[in-house]
Amino acid sequence: MKGYLGEFEELVLLTIANLGSDAYGLALIRDINERAGRNLSMGGMHSTLTRLEEKGYITSHLGEPTRERGGRRKRYFELTNSGIASLNDMKALRDELWANAKVNLSI
Amino acid sequence: MKKSRTPSPPRLAQRIFQWWAGSADTEDLLGDLDEQFVYNLQTKGRRRSQWIYSLQVCSLLFSYALRKRKRAASYSTYYPNNSMAMLQNYFKIAIRNFQKQKLFTVINIVGLALGMSICLLALSMFVSIFRFDEFHTQKDRIFQVNTRIADRNQKDLYASTFNAVGDYMGEKYPFIEQVIKIKSGFNPEIHHQGNLMSFHGYFAGSSFFETFSFPLISGNPATALAEPFSIILTKSVAETLFRDTNPMGKTLETATGTYRVTGVMADLKQTHFYFQVLTSHQTYEILHAGTNLQSDWKTYRNNYVYLLLKPNTSPEALRDALAQVSARASEFNPDRSIILESTKLARIIPSWSISNGLGVGWDLPTMIFFMALGLLILMPAIFNYTNLSVARALRRAKEIGIRKVVGAEKNQIRAQFVVETILLTFLALIGSIFIFKLIQTEFLTMIIGADSLDTSLSLSVLAVFILFSLIIGIVAGIFPAMYFSRLNPIHTIKGEIKSRSGGVSGIRKGLFVFQFFVSLVFIIGVGAITKQYAYVLNYNHGFQSDNILAVPFQNIDKQVVINEFKTHPDVKAVTAASNLPGLPLPIMVDITPNEIDTLTVHQVFIGEDFIENMGMTLTWGESGNQQRSTRNEELVLVNEQFLRSTAVFGAQQDSLVFSLSDGTRCRIVGALKDFNFEPLNELIQPLVFRYSLAESNFALLTVHSKDIKKTINDLDAIWTGIDQKASFEASFLDDKIEQAYYFLVIQIKIFGFLSALAIVISCLGLLGMVSYTTENRTKEIAIRKIMGASNNSLYYTLTKDFVKLILIAAVIAIPFSYFFYDMVLLRVFLSYSDGLGLPEMVLSIAFLFLVGFAAIYWQTFRVTRENPASNLRHE
Repeated sequence: MKGYLGEFEELVLLTIANLGSDAYGLALIRDINERAGRNLSMGGMHSTLTRLEEKGYITSHLGEPTRERGGRRKRYFELTNSGIASLNDMKALRDELWANAKVNLSI
Repeated sequence: MKKSRTPSPPRLAQRIFQWWAGSADTEDLLGDLDEQFVYNLQTKGRRRSQWIYSLQVCSLLFSYALRKRKRAASYSTYYPNNSMAMLQNYFKIAIRNFQKQKLFTVINIVGLALGMSICLLALSMFVSIFRFDEFHTQKDRIFQVNTRIADRNQKDLYASTFNAVGDYMGEKYPFIEQVIKIKSGFNPEIHHQGNLMSFHGYFAGSSFFETFSFPLISGNPATALAEPFSIILTKSVAETLFRDTNPMGKTLETATGTYRVTGVMADLKQTHFYFQVLTSHQTYEILHAGTNLQSDWKTYRNNYVYLLLKPNTSPEALRDALAQVSARASEFNPDRSIILESTKLARIIPSWSISNGLGVGWDLPTMIFFMALGLLILMPAIFNYTNLSVARALRRAKEIGIRKVVGAEKNQIRAQFVVETILLTFLALIGSIFIFKLIQTEFLTMIIGADSLDTSLSLSVLAVFILFSLIIGIVAGIFPAMYFSRLNPIHTIKGEIKSRSGGVSGIRKGLFVFQFFVSLVFIIGVGAITKQYAYVLNYNHGFQSDNILAVPFQNIDKQVVINEFKTHPDVKAVTAASNLPGLPLPIMVDITPNEIDTLTVHQVFIGEDFIENMGMTLTWGESGNQQRSTRNEELVLVNEQFLRSTAVFGAQQDSLVFSLSDGTRCRIVGALKDFNFEPLNELIQPLVFRYSLAESNFALLTVHSKDIKKTINDLDAIWTGIDQKASFEASFLDDKIEQAYYFLVIQIKIFGFLSALAIVISCLGLLGMVSYTTENRTKEIAIRKIMGASNNSLYYTLTKDFVKLILIAAVIAIPFSYFFYDMVLLRVFLSYSDGLGLPEMVLSIAFLFLVGFAAIYWQTFRVTRENPASNLRHE
């Protein structure tokens, strides 16, 4: 099942890993916007998160209510072991392809 | 008002999001949206932030994330996976409730059963009609040729076609396997044991039995209609004519010739054909030797052509052929546009609207009207259910409150009540099928041609019935279900619901008024038609009808019997006529006043002194000289309507001369004042009186007698003295005319039955409503009584609401029925009627009021008589 992960899904998983314990919906949108320059809609982001959760790559839990956002709780996302495994698979596939490239890929 | 310092997200977008998400968990999503909005405010300004917020809401509305959360929410952990158990519980509760509230159950089951019975009748007829002619094995290959004719005056689709079409198509197109020509109007009068018995049937082509799958009980299908003057009898006709003996090969004497029985077939069922006897098409050709059918492209009435195509013929081939034949027909009819069409055998019935159809011609508009009538009766029963369900809310409210507290959702409460209603309608359906069986035969005998309907309870009919009651259950149950599902559990448990359901309010008032409106309209209808019946029987048709004895001539020597009758002292005068005045007049003849235009008129043959004896008035001319007709010119009498109709043609020469279609020249020697020769439901048509004793069928005797029995016996003796074979029958013209108005008796019966149903249903509803409202006010009444209210004042407080509603219904119903019956119905059914009168209206309304007040009184009487002390202690 190598390379099953989609490109955007991979991006989201890696961003979750980067944000650590502060990975919730809006933070992910902002982070991806800053790093990759992609303007994401909320629907798109949450749909991808839902699908990743269905696949078992991430889990989620609600945080504590805070004063900001009208007292509404945030939903935090965490990578699961299978999420980490599939990220590794993806990386291994990439490395293999990079290593075996017949064309000089370095700039 | 000051604006709040921090702008808020757009309200509308928020609302839409919350509504769409429903019970789904969206806390984090809303939080994200809010946070982004606040963040955007710092950099982008209010308008733009709100715009972005709305866009984000849009993206979430259609997102997979929200869809998934909604789905997850709909399967809450409270929702049982085993819905069968829930359904079982609904049934159990429903049945317990039926048992506990007997009045409610009985009223509704009886009401719905009565209301549904008429609908079931209509439905069973619908099912039957849609399956007409399905039994023919070759039904997919048989087509009826129809003719669409348009000219200046008319534009109609006829089921019949030109005389020439059948043979022409049979010769020209090889893909046609058989052409079956049928002519209607074979009405033989068969001499049977001294009586004349008339039957109706068709002239049919010889391949009739090979093409259609009518089973022959005896006879050879291939040759049964091959010979001229062969006749096929249906089973019931064979039994009346021959009883137990085998009819095959026997001969039947009629005025048109002697027919030989070549076959007996089963009685017709489930087919658009409607006949008792069949003879071969050749018989028609022999009887009408003068006309050449094969070149007749003009006459299109009463002539039917059925085509049996060879297997695998494409529909286009038939269409092209019909287009070619249409072109050919148009050559002969340059002034009309003619298009031939075809209808598949099984599609002939039900027709939407077709002229000159063969058989009874069940058309959809009539059936839909019948169904609508059934629904009109059923609606009050449905309203009863709705009204009473809501009225007994008091008893159910606590149960619903508890259910809601325990965790029932609105949908589940709704489902419970709909299931309960459906269960009730199924119970009503069982009762309804019993009623349906009871009224079925009575009703069907009143409908012409209903004997060929198969309305027995087959599986498909039952399936339609069950589906119907399911729909009725949902329709009746949905309103109370909505009402109960909206109840506030806190109010119900505290008992606050009580005060609200105490009165009759809102939409229920409307339903109640509608019920009584329908009942009133029906009962006034009964009054109206009953009055018409009495009216037409006493109406002066324009001729004398009392003391006239009509005697059919049979085969007796007419002149001799007239002369002999005249010798009897009680007989004042004797004349003869081919048709009895006051009865329907089927015989039509085409005349032409100017050799170009034709006009179809009624004709009657009369004997000597007819005009004088019948007390008719001539506006000019004289009647006595009709016998002086010469061979070149026949002297005739006409009515005024005839002169008016021919005047438009502008005859070139003598306006008093015209010729009949067989070439006879006629001269008008007198005009009769217009009178109703036919029953009053027919308009006065152009009429021509020709003098001919030979063509007359009845002797009309003016009799003044003290002992009419003796006179008739004397006449019988005279008759038998002349001819023993013919039998003597005498009946008074009055009685004959009364029989001609039998259709009004049928209408009275139908209307009477329908209004009885409507009234019973409405009064059941009234009874239920009164009993529930008085029950809810038991305490109030007890207190009023203790405070010293008199019985009368109690009646007044309890009944005033209902009386008001009945009065409102009456106020609406009276002008409506006046307009409906006086202006529409009676004018259509009876062309010469005097409309609706005041006495019937008042009587009908009084009757309904009496029944309604009796129902109210019965219930209130019970409550007011009770001991107030026990009622107060009761709660």
